[in-house]
Amino acid sequence: MAARHRFVIGGRERVVLIDEVDGRTTVTIDDGDPIEVDPTASGIPGLFSLVANGSPSRAYVSRRAQGFDVTVDGRRFEVAPAGAARGRGVVGGAEDTLGRVSSPLAGVVVSINVEVGEAVETGHLLCVVEAMKMQNEVHAPHPGTISALHAAPGARVERGDLLLEYTPTED
Amino acid sequence: MFKRVLLANRGEIALRVQRTCRELGIETVAVYSEPDRNALHVRNADAAVCIGPGPATESYLVIEKIIEAAKATGADAIHPGYGFLSENARFADACDEAGITFIGPPASAMRAMGDKVSARKLMEEAGVPIVPGANDIDPNDLEFATAEAKRVGFPLLVKAASGGGGRGIRVVERLEDLEGAMRASGAEAASSFGDATIFLEHYVSPARHIEVQIMADAHGNVRAYGERECSVQRRHQKLLEEAPSVAVTPELRAKLCEAAVAAAKSCGYRNAGTVEFLMDPNGEFFFLEMNARLQVEHPVTELVYGVDLVHQQLLVAAGEAIPDPETDPVPPPRGWAIEARINGEDPYQNFIPSLGLVEYFEAPLGPGTRFDTMLFSGLDVPVFYDSMLGKLIVWAETRDDALRRMRRALDDLLIAGIDTNIPFHHALISNPEFIAGDIHTGWLESRFEMPAPIEDDPRETTALIAAALATEIIRARGGSGAPTAAAGSKWQRVHRQAAANLNVGSQGATGWQRATVS
Repeated sequence: MAARHRFVIGGRERVVLIDEVDGRTTVTIDDGDPIEVDPTASGIPGLFSLVANGSPSRAYVSRRAQGFDVTVDGRRFEVAPAGAARGRGVVGGAEDTLGRVSSPLAGVVVSINVEVGEAVETGHLLCVVEAMKMQNEVHAPHPGTISALHAAPGARVERGDLLLEYTPTED
Repeated sequence: MFKRVLLANRGEIALRVQRTCRELGIETVAVYSEPDRNALHVRNADAAVCIGPGPATESYLVIEKIIEAAKATGADAIHPGYGFLSENARFADACDEAGITFIGPPASAMRAMGDKVSARKLMEEAGVPIVPGANDIDPNDLEFATAEAKRVGFPLLVKAASGGGGRGIRVVERLEDLEGAMRASGAEAASSFGDATIFLEHYVSPARHIEVQIMADAHGNVRAYGERECSVQRRHQKLLEEAPSVAVTPELRAKLCEAAVAAAKSCGYRNAGTVEFLMDPNGEFFFLEMNARLQVEHPVTELVYGVDLVHQQLLVAAGEAIPDPETDPVPPPRGWAIEARINGEDPYQNFIPSLGLVEYFEAPLGPGTRFDTMLFSGLDVPVFYDSMLGKLIVWAETRDDALRRMRRALDDLLIAGIDTNIPFHHALISNPEFIAGDIHTGWLESRFEMPAPIEDDPRETTALIAAALATEIIRARGGSGAPTAAAGSKWQRVHRQAAANLNVGSQGATGWQRATVS
């Protein structure tokens, strides 16, 4: 019996089929040729060693709110289940859904530069998040009126945490 | 020798200093901010003192707290590491007053070198080549400055006398831009450093950043351990260093070392120090500044000269003598060493800082491979400090071999949970101009472009398979949908093996493990 998984990686939806044939695991990605995979999960949760068609590789899988981050040889891939809402905001403001602004990175909120009820234009400075001695400005992605603040100066935030909400102005 | 040394620092350098202390049988005292409670050097210390909350201005930069910790734990010496209080003359004074040895230069030497104009004058007297320029300019005296600027020649730099970290520096290409640059630089200097005095310097460009490691004892011995090549920089931050430099011949090395020794002697320097030079394409070099501390990149020197610089720092601070360079000369460098600074930042998103939980970490090992790092699996990297996670240093017989070894070691290094600049270093050491050694301080920003992630990356296949397997494991564990493959199959056993380990699927939404406080 095969297991079918749908993921979004690099902006593309991919289908991964895992199957058992004669006690051997095969994986088929989209319409590609089946890949024979010998997987082991090491004693470390999240750490996988794969031998795929005879070629070994290793991957570390981190769980995220939506899907996974998978690190393979120094490159990190965001793998989200297809059909789910957007994963973590990658570059903060610009990646958020309309009306929401999330933190572009983990850090400490240095300042909130707007108040509830304030009207802002695109590019207006909303707040500053500091990490590793670098101050990162978060700007309004869209014109609107600030409706709620979800962070205060001094607060520690993770990447993708909601900073504030606004009521978008009609274009 | 000292009985107990307090480490007035954190991160990899606290560990680095601590390791040598432990090897010499010297006890160590760790001071730590609240978010650094879990740091390795705290675990390994003989005594540990919490000195306050995360921001450095409330912990690692508070002189009184550190002196108090040293007194309370009976430390007889303090090693400042780099950054924080390492070049703070007031801190050196405070150690003296408390009867504790400061492992570094005398406060007087720090002060002499801290002021750029006084350092220039000292070097001129000592016969060390300095960049042609004009000292002590009043930012309001345009007439005098104009005459001096014409003498110095364009392009030139307007700099703050008490400057640092790139602040208060302006490039002036033409005479008509001088007045504006002077006003801007003077104002920035006044607000940043409380001193509006500026000076003019000929702009040496293109130039390499070449620095010489020196070690001076209290008996008049000054040893120079050759050069380090530090021209790969972004925004004045060094990213990769080498020893020796492709641009330095043995004859040139002798001249650089001679100048560095003269610089150290001119200010009564003691302990480890670095004399920085700008070197033009003709091999002409000019004194830039002296760093009165152990440098981040000191390991490349250690590897090609076979010395432990921290050991020598401790000996010198304890009043012992190092070998006389006249009777026991420093040998030529052996082989080649390269250091890559591994930073928590995303090279594909304009190097935006990335920090947080390091879920898994595997260090590169093997011949000629050294990784000075604060990392371990489960460390939550605090947000308050710089983004350097560690320094990957390799040694080999030749530069080509060292580059190959670096590539292999970068492949072996696995840091999961946060983004790192490992892909940047891969791209850098594969760049033809870098491989040819054809670099200068502006090279990275003007000539190097971070390549985009490759399309159809075979690693993407690995990522997808791993994600599918992880999904199955979570289902098996959490019961949200039965596992879909036949019982007893190979990868079903993988599930059980993984599910038997702690944590899987039960640690909330952000990670397999969240073990540390932050």
